[in-house]
Amino acid sequence: MQLSKRGLLASLAIGALVAATPAQAQVTLKVWSIDGVDRPGIADVYAKEFDDANEDVVIEYRAVPFDEIVNETLRAFATGNAPDIVSFDNPDFALFSSRGAMLDITDRVANSEIVSKAEYFEGPLNSVTWEGKLYGLPKYTDTIGIFYNKDLFAAAGLTEPPTTWEQVADYAEKLTDPANNVYGITFSARAGEEGTFQFLPIIQMSGGGADKVNTEGAAKVLDIWKGLIDNGYASRDVLSLGQWDSTGVFNSGNAAMAISGPWEIDRMVEDAQFDWGVALLPTIEEGDERSSALGGFNWGIMANTAHPDEAFRLLEYYVSQEDRIFTEFGNLPARGDIALPVTGIEKKDAALTVFQEQLQYAQPRGPHPEWQKISKAIYDAEQQALTGQMSSMDALNQAQTTIDGIFN
Amino acid sequence: MSRFFSGLRDGVGFDILLVGAALLFLLALAGAPLVYNVLMSFQQVDMFTLGALFRPFVGVDNYVAVVQQPEFWLVTRNTLVFVFGSMAGQFVLGFALALFFAQNFPGASTIRGLFLVSWVMPGLVVGGIWSFILAGDYGVLNVILKALGIIDANVFWKSDPNFSIWAVIIANIWLGLAFNMLLLSVGLAAISRDLYEAAELDGANAFQRFWTITMPMMRPTIGAVLSLGLIGTLQQFDLFPALTEGGPANTSNVAGYWSWQLSFQLYDFAKGATVSVMMFLLVLVASVVYVRSTRHEVRG
Amino acid sequence: MTRTYTPWILLTVALALAAVYLFPLYWMYVTSLKTGSEMFANPPTFWPNNANFGIYPEVWARRAMPTYLWNSVLIAGGVTAITVVLGTGCAYVLARYRNHWIDVGLFFVLMLQVLPASVMITPLFVGFNQVGLLNYPRTAVVLAAAAKAMPFFVVLVRATFMSVPRELEEAALVDGNSRVGAFFFIVLPLARNGILVCAILTFMSAFGEYIYSKSIIQSPSLQPASVGLSGFLGPNSTDWSSIMAYSAIYVTPILVAFVILQRRIVSGLTSGALK
Repeated sequence: MQLSKRGLLASLAIGALVAATPAQAQVTLKVWSIDGVDRPGIADVYAKEFDDANEDVVIEYRAVPFDEIVNETLRAFATGNAPDIVSFDNPDFALFSSRGAMLDITDRVANSEIVSKAEYFEGPLNSVTWEGKLYGLPKYTDTIGIFYNKDLFAAAGLTEPPTTWEQVADYAEKLTDPANNVYGITFSARAGEEGTFQFLPIIQMSGGGADKVNTEGAAKVLDIWKGLIDNGYASRDVLSLGQWDSTGVFNSGNAAMAISGPWEIDRMVEDAQFDWGVALLPTIEEGDERSSALGGFNWGIMANTAHPDEAFRLLEYYVSQEDRIFTEFGNLPARGDIALPVTGIEKKDAALTVFQEQLQYAQPRGPHPEWQKISKAIYDAEQQALTGQMSSMDALNQAQTTIDGIFN
Repeated sequence: MSRFFSGLRDGVGFDILLVGAALLFLLALAGAPLVYNVLMSFQQVDMFTLGALFRPFVGVDNYVAVVQQPEFWLVTRNTLVFVFGSMAGQFVLGFALALFFAQNFPGASTIRGLFLVSWVMPGLVVGGIWSFILAGDYGVLNVILKALGIIDANVFWKSDPNFSIWAVIIANIWLGLAFNMLLLSVGLAAISRDLYEAAELDGANAFQRFWTITMPMMRPTIGAVLSLGLIGTLQQFDLFPALTEGGPANTSNVAGYWSWQLSFQLYDFAKGATVSVMMFLLVLVASVVYVRSTRHEVRG
Repeated sequence: MTRTYTPWILLTVALALAAVYLFPLYWMYVTSLKTGSEMFANPPTFWPNNANFGIYPEVWARRAMPTYLWNSVLIAGGVTAITVVLGTGCAYVLARYRNHWIDVGLFFVLMLQVLPASVMITPLFVGFNQVGLLNYPRTAVVLAAAAKAMPFFVVLVRATFMSVPRELEEAALVDGNSRVGAFFFIVLPLARNGILVCAILTFMSAFGEYIYSKSIIQSPSLQPASVGLSGFLGPNSTDWSSIMAYSAIYVTPILVAFVILQRRIVSGLTSGALK
């Protein structure tokens, strides 16, 4: 241990001598993100490029696991070890931006030649905005739609994907085939953010939102979902399946439809031994208002950075590379002005077109500094209704009481 | 000074040094965090004061708020079910296995060694494995139970509100069995063979021997196993995120997980600390049980 | 007649019990070889359709496994060293007397276990930051994890000391040994087996230490293997085959060591100190 530490110091000293040749003062930027833990991602790869291209800036990059990044940053922030730039899941962003922990970059963005606010989709942009000010920029985005197994649809005499939730229930009944272990549909109603992620769009479609969850429409769809489970058209395990596991059931041919997002496409192309397609998330009534979940991460500069100018330059660099993020990492840019290149994989290209359209309807979760509490109220209510512990309306009313307590 | 050193060598000084070093270490690294959490449960905390010790004092507001949460009583009930269910399972099965492997047969100790597997498995992995085994549709437990004719239809262990807490208990029993069996084996091995032989000569049957020799001699071991088991069970965390995340609708949520959830998922640090301080009560019981059990010890 | 068959019947039962108990382990290996979708197939397959053994070299290459494993060994070794040095003496004294102070001592040792590691990490992080220990992250983790392992060790080793006959120590004292001498030359050697086994158990559970390491150790080159696991959980995906393969890589060597060493471990503990 001792030896290696000394060796490290020596090599650092040599490195410093070599790097000291240019006379410029060097600025160190600490960048934290979830990329690079498992495989290279946007944050680590482009940070390295920026570091290499700029003599005056050194990037200290740290990859933090997904489930830890908020807690790590909170702890670091409280003890004065916070990074300069950090990337959060979009519903977590308001926890920091609303409390003045993120740098207000409204004016910098307005004056920037690289960042153009107008090009971003509305949903992602809302998630980095707090009280009219801009505290960050979207890194990439995600949403959900309904995947369907075309082979099973054909066998059941169906041609088109469902467009309303009532139709979903109707189709699911036709598609369910207990003899072959096939459910009509699978989705995720797990006790966690994923449950809210898939259910909040329903609330939003019915005219509600984070502050108003007990709508007639939401209760109606919850009743439909409960019917799916009680009738055996969906597995009771949707209550504990995460989205990845739930879609795994679809990929293995054990469910004919699945609510999920574009991150599934590659695994599906590889594993699914059937023809499949994607459609927009169904609405409550034909032609009703659309909505969809908004996934994806945001960039932000932390308010206590000593180098806001250099940090913003790095942010601009990330933005300038956004036309590469899909081809290199499969992430969808949160902007309308970047056309996705054709991959040549027919099903994948068709699915991406649908998700690109769906993104225009995606609405953020919150933004609210106590989003996670709101989210727990929502998924608890959803589960109480789906397990029959409470009627849908009663469960949503109870959630509304909790949420009112948070908003007031 | 020299009196101190001679005291160190021959008197109580040596004992105090040995205990003192360990207790000081524990006070610094376990006592201080405990104080921090107790303080926090009476304070108003936000992300800016997370690193401070002195924050706005709010009296028992956090306690009132925790009790008023709609899930409070459900979580309390689940905690008791989880603790007693897990411990009963681990202890009874562990004791049975320990007795079984105390018999003299070829390979007894080798095979017993295999049971210590769960001791070295990372919790996240155990949770993941059981999440697959307990799944309703693709879970292998249902397949086996159906093949044995024990159930007709699939049981949704993780998703049925009546079973969800038991899903976690099953996995936890598996996880804690090694610990129980090992400690109880140690206790059994320390009982002199002569006692059993004498009792056998007196005509005591196996059942009588168990109640009149094994159980009384095992009391200190049982005290240690149960109290350490209670503490371990209360702190069990890894299984919950992998299996149910406390769902559906908190039917498998227990105090330990809830405390974590409040602190690190909902970022309500004060309430999280409050729940962890409430768990204090149960550990208090465990400690009293343990200390009392040591009264019956016989020094070898 | 029956007497000769009994051991073999018992052996058969023992093997059956072990098979049932080890089934989850088998499921870990099988799941690691399945594709990301086959593992969700209904009915489940007891052996993968296309076993993908390539996952093992892939995971090995994707993660710096040797570095991780080495760090795990270092951390577990440190935790064990501190626990044994501090815990043995404490356990000895707590076993030697029988009075109210001892009750209080035992009570404290257990009560200081009350908080789960997840709740202790924030105050420890703050404290380590203040004294500058965050710059020596592995040392910080060793200290924190040793405090967590100590009560368990003390309770178990105390039981070992209980089985060392008091008369032997007293005889040594009469012979002119000092208390220190009696402790090091008479009592410790007699309790050696029990201490060794408890140390091995401490080492093994510290090998999987996770909660402290993931927060305190920021540089991947210093992290233990357990921390590498959580990287497979993404925002929308869970790479189960890699998780299972990774943990198989990480658990199997310990298992093998266990099976080889188990005669010493189990018999060391079960034979008590003397009997």
